[in-house]
Formats: sequence, structure tokens, C-alpha cells
Amino acid sequence: MSRAERHRLSSLHDVELASLAASGDRQAFGELVRRHGSAVRALLRRMGISATETDDLAQDAFISAFESIAEFRGEGTFGGWVKKIAARACVRRIQKDKKYRSRLEAADLLDESPPEDPGRRMDLDEALKGLGEAERLCVSLCYGAGLSHAEAAEALNLPLGTVKSHVKRGLDKLRARLAPDGDTMEGRRGNG
Amino acid sequence: MAEMEVERTLERLFARAPESSDAEAFAERVQRRLDRGWAARRVLIGAAGLVGGVIGASQLIMFNLFSRAEAASSESVQVLTSGVRQIAPQAEWLLNGPAGIEAIWLVAGLAVVAMGLVLTRIIEEF
Repeated sequence: MSRAERHRLSSLHDVELASLAASGDRQAFGELVRRHGSAVRALLRRMGISATETDDLAQDAFISAFESIAEFRGEGTFGGWVKKIAARACVRRIQKDKKYRSRLEAADLLDESPPEDPGRRMDLDEALKGLGEAERLCVSLCYGAGLSHAEAAEALNLPLGTVKSHVKRGLDKLRARLAPDGDTMEGRRGNG
Repeated sequence: MAEMEVERTLERLFARAPESSDAEAFAERVQRRLDRGWAARRVLIGAAGLVGGVIGASQLIMFNLFSRAEAASSESVQVLTSGVRQIAPQAEWLLNGPAGIEAIWLVAGLAVVAMGLVLTRIIEEF
């Protein structure tokens, strides 16, 4: 791709790029991947996917997004739309893992998270690692991918009440772990 | 923090994803996969069109559709023949040749197949 073409694409809005991609323009879609790839991969990592699997899963999600790009009508953001696709793909991947699945269902009765140090403030990635698998997944689906509780329950094939209680417990733990402004990373850097 | 505040903070933190150092390389990997898929699709569509065309042409020949069509609509064949004669009197040799009208039908069938291939290509490109 020429520099001029690259410059032209980088000046377009996501909706315009999506419209070009819907007409088969793969370069335009590439620009969308460039813009949102990091966010999608970060979401998958936060959902508990390993670094090596994250890349494959994110690629699959973008390919799937390209194939159904005509369904994106610009009502929400492209980033939000593709994150939902990635999150659902992630859930499907997780559900193939029977051990994980059984742990997810058992997590209703079991608090798997490590003990916390109430005085310590963390960034989001660190704080999420302290949640149980089900809590982490439910919180990431609802606050990272923007799914409603009902949509998360449907994606996970769990009862709505179970998802709500995972989210509630996750939020309670995160409340204690995150700094009030949620900006602990910058704060720690600032303090040297 | 109140629940609403935690929720807003979480949404903000999730939205603030760090830019990966290999963002460009990742985009290229996705684009390469798209290009590969696109090339495979083109080959598949082309191959499907070709196979369909060959099957169609062989069916036409095997079931002797030419003679059936000739019998069923001799009038239309006469019209076609006279039309061809009017348009190209030099095609007389073709009509009176060993293959006769069947050759015209065969050529027409192949033309339809070719048009099908062109059409699939056009649909694929636009």
C-alpha cells in the first residue's frame, strides 16, 4: 500500500472504513485492525487467555468481523462491536475446554481468588488476576466487551443469576483493589 | 467506591488498553490471512464455475438435448437458422457441415458457460 493511500485511510472515520471494508476493501479493514487490534488483544488477555492464544483468537475475531462487516451499521463504535465478537469467540474457546467449563460452573460455590492485601493498590490487569476465573470472565464480558448480564449469561450458557453473582463478587473484590481514580499505573510511575 | 463509580471506573479502565508494540505486525498478519482467504475464494468460485460449466455442457451433449430441442421447437430453430444466415451468410458452411445446428448449440452453450464465469468474477470483484 502506498504512503498516500495509507494516509488517506488513516484520515477516515471507523464507519467510513467499515463501509469500504463491506465493499471488499481489505486495506480499509487493515486500518481498522491497526486501530483496534491492541484493544481487542488486551481484552482477551484480561479475560484470562494466554499470550500465545490471544494472538490467534484476536486474528480469528477480526476475520470473522470482516466476514460479517455488513452487519455493522455504525450504531455503536466499531471497537465495541469487534470486542463483542472477540469476547464471544473467547467464550466459545473456553467452553471447548471441559476442565475450565467445570471450574466455571463450580465457581459458584467456590471462591478461588488468592488472599488479598487490603493496603495494596493495583492496576486493572493485576487486579483482574486476583479474581476467580468465572468472576474475571463475567466482569470482562460485561465491562470490557460491553455485554449486558443477560447477553453474558447467554454467551456463557449460565443462569442469569449466576452471572450476576459472579459480577457482584468480582466488583466487590475490584473495589478493594483498584485505586479510587483507577490510575494506579501512572501513580506508581510518578512516584518513581 | 460506590458501585456505580466502580462500574464507571472499570469501563474506563477496560477502554484504556495499552497500544501493543507489535500492533502494525498484528494488522499485517490479519491482512495476510484475509488476502489468502480471498485468493482461495477466487480459485474456489472459478473452479466451481468451471466444473458447473463442464457438467452442464456434458449433460447437454450426453442427453442429446440438441436433437430434442430441435424436434420440440423446430420453428425456433428455423428462426435461429434464418437469423444466422441473415447475419452471416458465410456461416452457411457451419450449418451445412457435419455438425450442423448442433455445433451452434454447443458454441452457444460454451458462450453461456463463459458468461457465467465472467459474471462470477464480476460479482466477486464488486
